[in-house]
Amino acid sequence: MYGELGNKLVQHAKRTQSLTHLPPYQTEMVRAVTREVRDLDKDVAAILEPFAGSFNPSTEPATACALLVNHLCMRRDKRCLLAYHRVRSDKLEEMCWNGIDVLERQQQQQQQQSKAGGEGATSMGAEGNTSSLSPEEEEYVRQYSDLLAAYKGQWTDIDLTGSLEPPKDLFIDVRVLKDAGEIQTEYGAITLTKNSQFYVRQGDVERLIAQGYLQRLT
Amino acid sequence: MDIDDILAEVTADAVPQETCDLQELTRAWVTERVAPEILPYPDALMERVLERIRKQIELVEDQTGNMDPKTNFKLIVIQTELERFKFLVRSFLRARIAKLDKHPLHIFESHTNDPTLLSPSEHQYLTQHQALLSQHYHSSFLSQFPDALQRLDDTTGGMSMIDKPDEDTAVFCRVLREVGVVSVEGTDRVFEMKRGDVWVVRWSAIRQRVLLGDIELI
Repeated sequence: MYGELGNKLVQHAKRTQSLTHLPPYQTEMVRAVTREVRDLDKDVAAILEPFAGSFNPSTEPATACALLVNHLCMRRDKRCLLAYHRVRSDKLEEMCWNGIDVLERQQQQQQQQSKAGGEGATSMGAEGNTSSLSPEEEEYVRQYSDLLAAYKGQWTDIDLTGSLEPPKDLFIDVRVLKDAGEIQTEYGAITLTKNSQFYVRQGDVERLIAQGYLQRLT
Repeated sequence: MDIDDILAEVTADAVPQETCDLQELTRAWVTERVAPEILPYPDALMERVLERIRKQIELVEDQTGNMDPKTNFKLIVIQTELERFKFLVRSFLRARIAKLDKHPLHIFESHTNDPTLLSPSEHQYLTQHQALLSQHYHSSFLSQFPDALQRLDDTTGGMSMIDKPDEDTAVFCRVLREVGVVSVEGTDRVFEMKRGDVWVVRWSAIRQRVLLGDIELI
C-alpha cells in the first residue's frame, strides 16, 4: 500500500534504461498498482461519504490529512506507471528507428524458449506466453512502425533512419560477417559471401551494416 | 553603419544562393541541436535544399554507367557532396523529432499558438504519436483509474503534467551583428554584445536575437 509497488516499478524502469534488451513486462505489478489506486479511491469515497459533500478541512484536520495522503499516493502511483510505460515505449521506439523488427525478434525468442522447454520437460505448458512485451505494447509497436514508415515515406531522398555519423568517405571497406546474397550497386552486382572483403559505396551497404551482415573496417 | 556592415553587404550580394543556403542549413542544424526548445521550421530553405538534392540524385542516376574517367570523377565529387547534404538534413530532422518526442504536449500547445513552428508532416507525426501513446497508456492501465485521474495533461494540484524544456539553460553563441546591450531577466546582469564576440548566456535572454539572425549558436 501507499506507493511501495510503484517504487518497485520505477526501479524496474531505471534498470531497463541501461539494458540493451527489453526485460519482461511486469504484468502482475502493473495490475497491483492499478488495484492500489482503485482501493485508495474507494477509501477516499468512504471517508467522504458521511460528510455528504459538506466537508470542511479546517474542522477535521485528521480526516483532511488522511485524504491528502490518499490523493498524493494515487497521483504518485499514476506517475510511476506512466514513467514505467514511457521508458519501455521509448525503448521500443528506439528499436523501430534502428530498423530492428521487434515483433519478429520476439517470435524468435519465443520459439527458442519453447524449443528449450520442450526438450527439458513436457509439462511446461503454464509458461505459454513468454513474450517480454505486453499485448498492448505489441500493438503499440505495430502502430508506431506504421507511423514511422509514413513519416519516413515523405523523405525518401534523405533516408531518415540512416546513419547519424557525419559521412567522411563515399567508399568504405567492409567485411562480410553473414552471407547476404547479391546486392545491386551502380557499379554492377556484388555477391556478398561470408568472410570476403569489399570496397563499396557507404550508401549502398548502410542497411546491411545496421542489420549485422557487414562489418565496417577502419 | 560602419565599414564592417558595408563590407558584409557587399559580400552577401556576391555569394550565390546555393552557398547561402548551405550556410543557412548548417546554421539551422547547429541551432536546432543546441537550442533547448524547438525552433520554427525553415520552410522555404528546406524546399530549396530538397529540390536541389532531388536534382543531383537525378543527375547521378543519369550519368552512371558512363565509364569516362572524367565524368566518373565528377560523379564521385557530386555524390560525396550529396551524402553530406543528406546527412545535414537527416540530422536536422532527427534533432527536431527527438524534441517532439521529448516535450510533445508543450510543443503541441506552442504550435497551436504559432502554426509556423512545425511542418505539416511534423505536426501530423506529433498528433498521431501522441494519440498512440495515450491509447497505449489507456489500454495498459489508465482506463481502470478513477475518472478524475485519467487525464495526461492535468495541471491541478500545483503540478503540471506537461513537461517543458528548460529555457534558461546556458548556450554558447557568437554575435553576428551589433545588438547593443542585453540584460538577463531575473538577474541584474547587463552587458554589451559586440560583433564577433563569443558568449555563454541563458537561451531565454538571446532567443529573439537568434531568431532574427543577429546571433548564432555554436
